[in-house]
Amino acid sequence: MDAILQSLMDLSGVTAVLVFDPGGQLLGHRGHAVYDEGLCAQVSGALAKALDAVQLQQEDWETVTAQYADGKIVLRRVLATDRTNVLAVVADGTLNVSFATVALRVAAGKLKRLLEGGASSSSAGLGSSAAAARSGPGTSQTSPADSRPTLAASGLSWSKISNVGLSRVSVADPASGAFLGRCAKELAQYVGPIAKVYVEEAVRRVVPDAPFAMAQARPLVEDLAAQIEDADDRAAFQKSLAK
Amino acid sequence: MADLASTARIPNVASAVLGDLAGGFHDAIREGDGEAVASVAAFVASSLARAGEELGLGAVRRVAIVGEQRAVVVALSGGVVVTVRVEPPGALGAVEKALDASIGRGG
Repeated sequence: MDAILQSLMDLSGVTAVLVFDPGGQLLGHRGHAVYDEGLCAQVSGALAKALDAVQLQQEDWETVTAQYADGKIVLRRVLATDRTNVLAVVADGTLNVSFATVALRVAAGKLKRLLEGGASSSSAGLGSSAAAARSGPGTSQTSPADSRPTLAASGLSWSKISNVGLSRVSVADPASGAFLGRCAKELAQYVGPIAKVYVEEAVRRVVPDAPFAMAQARPLVEDLAAQIEDADDRAAFQKSLAK
Repeated sequence: MADLASTARIPNVASAVLGDLAGGFHDAIREGDGEAVASVAAFVASSLARAGEELGLGAVRRVAIVGEQRAVVVALSGGVVVTVRVEPPGALGAVEKALDASIGRGG
């Protein structure tokens, strides 16, 4: 894997290269000295969250390019046997994005072969590789992924969205609709404006084939609570909806 | 930038949504669920902003998401978030240029 990451580091303007899994766990990285393992792990988490949301609207995404005032991040999906990992390039403003996109495509293909042909678990295989390469500059393995449920398999896509907000969810009666609104409002305190999307997803999971009714309120709240990472916040959310 | 109608007239722009960084929805053209699009775009932008902040890349200005069937551009300026769906995705470069011109004119 070192060689694959190094090939991207050789691109003009590239300052760091990361590989992480869908949960945001850093599987490997190379980069200039300032991009240490701790920083890359933090960044991987934030990028994975962004990609969770991207997946909601565009399941078939292949690349995501974020342009900043002083640089760029280019993300490329790496479809391996059992999961979608992500290859990320961090660069300064001089990066030629078109050129980098081609290089990323090539690197992603090699990484895919490495993941599929390596150990039985992709993260385990990369972990071994990373550990073996630890003596080299900047490749590492980090702590386990957090417990956030992935939204990747939501089935929602940009083209399927047709109505406004929670009206996409069918409800048995007005009280059930009002309860969903309360759920979104309470959840928004912890996860922000994406709360409505989370509520819709949760309703689809809890009652996939019928209108939502208050009888399913408890499993819905439990499902939604799983979106909140902090235990105290999670408890406060559940309490607020138990009233 | 906030002139959504002119943005939606750019060739190959299938839909356009105007929102803000807090996830608020303001307007949409040819998009049935602008509210959801605006909230997701704001979430994506804020997560990427956090990553950029940690990496010292400064403020996030634009995000381009490319897939097989379509591309999406999320352009940010002064707290305003414009989300544009581009079809086919090959037209992304031209649309981004047009958006840049639009931002340059309208701020």
